[in-house]
Amino acid sequence: MTMSTAAAPARPRRAMDSLTQRYLVLVGLIVIASVGFGIANENFYSLANIGILLRSIAVLFLVSMGMTFIMLTGGIDLSVGSNVAFAGGVGVIALTATDSAALGFVAAILAGMAIGAINGVFIGRLRLSAFMVTLATFALARGLALVIYDADSINVSNAAFLWLGGQSWGSLPVVIPFVALVFVALSVLLYRAPFGRDVYAAGSNFNTAFVLGRMPQRTLVWVYVLSGALAGLSAIITVGRVSSGQPWTGLYLEFDAITAVILGGTSLFGGRGRLLGTILGVLLYGIIINGLVLTGTNPYLQSLIKGLILLGVVLLDTLVQRRKAQ
Amino acid sequence: MPDLSRVMRERNIIFVTLALCLVFYLISPRFLSLDNMSAISRQIVPIGLIALGQFFVVVSGNIDLSMGMGSVLFAIVLGVFFGLTGGVALGIVAVIVCSLALGFFNGVLVAKLGLPAFIVTLSMLFSAQGLSGLIIPRGQQIFLMGDFFRFIGAETFLGLYWSFLFLLALFALAWVVYNHTSWGAAVIAVGNSEENARLAGVNVDRVKIGVFMVSGLCSGFAGIMLSSRMGFVQPGLDGNGLLLDGIAAIIIGGTLILGGRGTIGGAFWGLLFIGIINNALNLLNVEDVWHQVFKGAVILAALGANWLLWQSRQVEAH
Amino acid sequence: MTFKTGLMAATALATLGAPAWAQEDTLDIVFINDGHVAPYHVAWLKGFEDAIEAYDEAFEDTEITGRWLSAEGSLEKMIQQTEVTINEGPDVMFVNAINVDAFEPLVAKAQEAGITWIAVHSPMESADYSFTLGDVVNGTNQGMAICALSGGEPYKVGVMLGQAGNPSGEARREGILKGIATCDNVEVVAEQPADWDTVKAQSIAENWLTQFEDLDAISGVTDAYMYPSIAIATNSGKDLDFFGYDGDIPILQQMKDGPVKADILLSGTREGWNFVQMAYRIHKGETPDKVYDFYTPLVMTEENHKIALENGFPEDVEVYYVDQALDVAANGYLEFGPDSVK
Repeated sequence: MTMSTAAAPARPRRAMDSLTQRYLVLVGLIVIASVGFGIANENFYSLANIGILLRSIAVLFLVSMGMTFIMLTGGIDLSVGSNVAFAGGVGVIALTATDSAALGFVAAILAGMAIGAINGVFIGRLRLSAFMVTLATFALARGLALVIYDADSINVSNAAFLWLGGQSWGSLPVVIPFVALVFVALSVLLYRAPFGRDVYAAGSNFNTAFVLGRMPQRTLVWVYVLSGALAGLSAIITVGRVSSGQPWTGLYLEFDAITAVILGGTSLFGGRGRLLGTILGVLLYGIIINGLVLTGTNPYLQSLIKGLILLGVVLLDTLVQRRKAQ
Repeated sequence: MPDLSRVMRERNIIFVTLALCLVFYLISPRFLSLDNMSAISRQIVPIGLIALGQFFVVVSGNIDLSMGMGSVLFAIVLGVFFGLTGGVALGIVAVIVCSLALGFFNGVLVAKLGLPAFIVTLSMLFSAQGLSGLIIPRGQQIFLMGDFFRFIGAETFLGLYWSFLFLLALFALAWVVYNHTSWGAAVIAVGNSEENARLAGVNVDRVKIGVFMVSGLCSGFAGIMLSSRMGFVQPGLDGNGLLLDGIAAIIIGGTLILGGRGTIGGAFWGLLFIGIINNALNLLNVEDVWHQVFKGAVILAALGANWLLWQSRQVEAH
Repeated sequence: MTFKTGLMAATALATLGAPAWAQEDTLDIVFINDGHVAPYHVAWLKGFEDAIEAYDEAFEDTEITGRWLSAEGSLEKMIQQTEVTINEGPDVMFVNAINVDAFEPLVAKAQEAGITWIAVHSPMESADYSFTLGDVVNGTNQGMAICALSGGEPYKVGVMLGQAGNPSGEARREGILKGIATCDNVEVVAEQPADWDTVKAQSIAENWLTQFEDLDAISGVTDAYMYPSIAIATNSGKDLDFFGYDGDIPILQQMKDGPVKADILLSGTREGWNFVQMAYRIHKGETPDKVYDFYTPLVMTEENHKIALENGFPEDVEVYYVDQALDVAANGYLEFGPDSVK
């Protein structure tokens, strides 16, 4: 019985239904939040503001998609925010040393993957707790970023390097179609490639996957490397956005990403969730943050609201499911 | 042979901690001076309280992310009551009531509604952070002066701080509860398998609510210790740092993050390990940019070393 | 500057009282800060909001509104807040940039939109104005005060620094060390960054007190470090001197017969008031200095000032005595209120 679920570990129908329901809840909340903020502030709907909003959450989109893969395997990655700073540092140093944007890109992504590989080996091969390992690399990567930058920022003027994060076509930032492309690519990887099935299998039941020869330990390594690569991409976008490399960039990004992924309905215990949910989660989160900024809300009140919304969405979801089950 | 493995894991962290002490001693002999030891013993008290409360939650298969910001909130609750009334007793009562209430709330949401502890307590983390800034009158720092705060913060008995003795007493109590009561066994059972625990007649919901009330109370104590040692309170203290150090302590001490396994002794050694690293980084005047690198690398190394020793033992056992 | 209904605050004011819609002239000020938790930030917010209210009341022909945003230490968040604010189109923006280089493109965008940009603390060439603190000079004053009050005997001091790489912290450190270098009996036995964090400052103070038994003084680049340091020294029965920086009121209160020997009177409340005064002056067509230096006296008790002068402390350094300092810190309107521009 367990064998058959693991052999075809594609999302069982019931889970799909509850996920679809969650997405409807999210879409509803996004509409309510937009209308509410739109009434409170006429600027909310301006094209410029929408561009700002999307650009400001571009990095969160990428990092959260990586986090979704990890959480599908039942893991967690606390190191992504620090990794964005570290990968950016390596990229910027490579750029200034060689004056080649291409080498800078490659260096940033490789650096991100390197931290991801450390996570992956410790978690996948040594079977250590993801929480603990990434907590260690959270400190390690931030520390390395500080060392690389010598705790100072480095200005970047190379137009090619800045293009992705800084350029806009009118009100549309270049980075938005780029994020959409990444989303499509990752969707293919998750839903159409064998790797995606391995991810769901590793999250549903590691031991069964192991017995079935799906090599979940290898899958885990690659999932963390993927998250690292996305952190590297995010680093490039961040550098472009602020036209400089910053050692403190990405601070607490992991908390935002985890919150967004949870909002998007992905289970913490692995095996259940979709990328679309994460996209909706990031959108809802971004709209709320943007709206709170527009209305000049007290930062402490913002924290409280953030907490209540997170709890409220999950609670709503649970209650709806319970009623349905009855 | 689960018992043997438990002892082994605990012993590993003792070796690693003692080795670390030796390294720091060789770098700076002052590290093992009596003064510095007593400084460490005082610094680890709030982290220790977080670790202790977290221990029961983690063994039961959950996690409480709200403990750090919770302790900041409770420190401010104490400060606000002290500022209003000038007395301590009422403030302490308020902290205990509020912290138990927070734990109860977390526990009910987790146990009765089946929400993941990670999400519930993450949202409580944000909420506590927000409340800590909203309940304190704006533009104020509240100084906490008086005999009580001096007693908790600085008085010693036989050369040991009272706050540290309090922590030791709590650890001893926790050891008894964990190893020699049916409740302790129930926590482990729930952490291993809720289903089996339920079949064995354990009231799983009540155990879950219980562990969260313990962790809530511990963060209340941590808040009292924190504010007494500081001598003043303000919002925006770094609660998350405390939280992460507390979790690191118990996991380094061999507690399984997935629940069902861990020892109080291991948690205590893990706490010493974290306390020693924090102290040494300051004591040895390590340049600031290297602090994080060092801390991350040492934790990774400890995890790796623990794994190596653990693996080799397993191989021998075969 | 067309008719704006942008702000919740404006709406709230309008519903509260006067028929604000009839007024033509509006002044909308936004202040974007890097944080909101340090005592200094809290005082800042209080001064800023009190001043907005006072100015709005005092000048009936102008509707004055203000908002205060905190980036909570994150550069990305700050950039987002700035972009959103520019889109809103206020009249004046004060930005305490976490990193000035990252804000160059946004300054240009704000100016295109007709917004006056005032860079706070770290000066920017491109900004309309820069509001600066003279950190090196102030730090030097603190350092010279340590020298002058050290009593000529060997004197050991530990200096708590800001976050590595932070320009303000670095400048203050440079000044303090420069001031201390003017005499040779004062020895800096330890220098450590506490990242503007009171909890870190606490651990460092504890370590120093055990590590250096004959430590004479603790100097810091912010008063936030003084709270735990004073509490720990008092609780362990040690008699240390403290040299602060910021002019926080609770620290100033520890000066008379207390362990705090000197402080730099920035005072968040004073500065918050000065922001609003500056914005109003610009709004009325005045042009302040492009790089506007915040007036920052040193605070000591009268007795200590006399002792310091005898020990060669320069006479041209402006010194406020404690009562005067407390007065202007608590009542920002004394120096920067509506009366100062009428």
